[in-house]
Amino acid sequence: MSKNVQDHKPPRSKQAEEWLTEEIASQEQRYQAIIDEQTALTPEREKWYAEFLRIVSTKGFNVTGDMRRVITEEELPTKPDRDDAMKVVW
Amino acid sequence: MARPHIEPFVELNEGYKPFRLLGFVGSEYKTLSLDVDTGACSLKVRFNNGYSRPPGLSYSDTELFLLSGSMTYGDETLVEGHYLFIPAGHSTPAIKVDDGCEALLFCNDSEPNFVESDASHELALGSGYVSVNSYNDPPWSSGSIVSPSVASGCMIKLLRFDPLTEAMTFLYMMSPEFMQDNISYHDCAEESYHIWGTSWMMQFGDLPTGGYFWRPPYINHGSFRSKLGCIALGRTDSKLHNYFHFNPWSNPDENLQRAAAFLYRQRPQLFKWVAAAGGHNHPHGPVGQADGAVLPEDFESPAYLDHPQTDMLSKQMYRFLNADRSGKHHHHHDD
Repeated sequence: MSKNVQDHKPPRSKQAEEWLTEEIASQEQRYQAIIDEQTALTPEREKWYAEFLRIVSTKGFNVTGDMRRVITEEELPTKPDRDDAMKVVW
Repeated sequence: MARPHIEPFVELNEGYKPFRLLGFVGSEYKTLSLDVDTGACSLKVRFNNGYSRPPGLSYSDTELFLLSGSMTYGDETLVEGHYLFIPAGHSTPAIKVDDGCEALLFCNDSEPNFVESDASHELALGSGYVSVNSYNDPPWSSGSIVSPSVASGCMIKLLRFDPLTEAMTFLYMMSPEFMQDNISYHDCAEESYHIWGTSWMMQFGDLPTGGYFWRPPYINHGSFRSKLGCIALGRTDSKLHNYFHFNPWSNPDENLQRAAAFLYRQRPQLFKWVAAAGGHNHPHGPVGQADGAVLPEDFESPAYLDHPQTDMLSKQMYRFLNADRSGKHHHHHDD
């Protein structure tokens, strides 16, 4: 006998199967809407990234808690040449 | 396949749907996120006037957070801010709602299910039961319970902590003008619902009241701001470690490999053991699997492999982790 209650769960009812099927379809729509919305934000996000790099190279980067370290110009990353460079939803 | 990355999602823009599953008739719901295989889900539920159900149990670990209104729960009256963790099989008393209430409902193992019963299942882990009013009972504490830590102005109330996986459920707040200038990611999935207020993250923009995310491991988030402050309910499915960095363009695959480098640097003995036992440390190899490896014994919890959360985590796969985005392969088998 299994030690976990979860393993004793009765088979999913037809009603629960239908609920799950419907919710999976709804979630796919929600996911796509998020992708579209976030893709549209890309031009603004480019500016946010630039501002972030300005802040960490002047005021500093939060290493832990309120401890900051100023990032040198040599350390600053550059945008890679690949399709997912601005992707934020995975 | 576990839950997809849902971020950001503002549920206040969505309508409620009638909840017709057994034990929930008389309520309405919105789905926040859903595991497409197991049916595990996070929902916002509105229990309408007159909702009631008899004593019973679920075959899933269940968490409930009362957002507004009140609920008669056996002999108790639960009010907003109340948090329950109900282990699978643990019998709950009769529930009655006279004037309506809204709650977050988390079913961690399977779709919402209910069996009428006035006794717990014989295998229920009743000691895991938690019932606390998060607004009144525990004090706010510093967010630096993990290190590296969040900046001052982010505080938490820990509501539940799983000693085996270190999964947590917690209330957190950001003070007005909160700021933290780093990018973070974690080894765990992270989830949040904004009860009130707005925070901002550099990738996703504003997350307002009613804003929600379910974020799989190794996904960049931050820097962080909150102009007027916010309060939110957060959850993780395992241990939260803050990996901070300042490269806005890194992807989950790179973040994962960096995390493994942290392990190499910070826990070298553990890294060597993992690398040697089964050879499954290849960056493009299976994730979260331990096939062929000798699994470590835990003298304190020798049966930890039977723990549902441990079992679930060992089976989860995130598709994006297997994608090759770098164009650089490390084929040690070709050496």
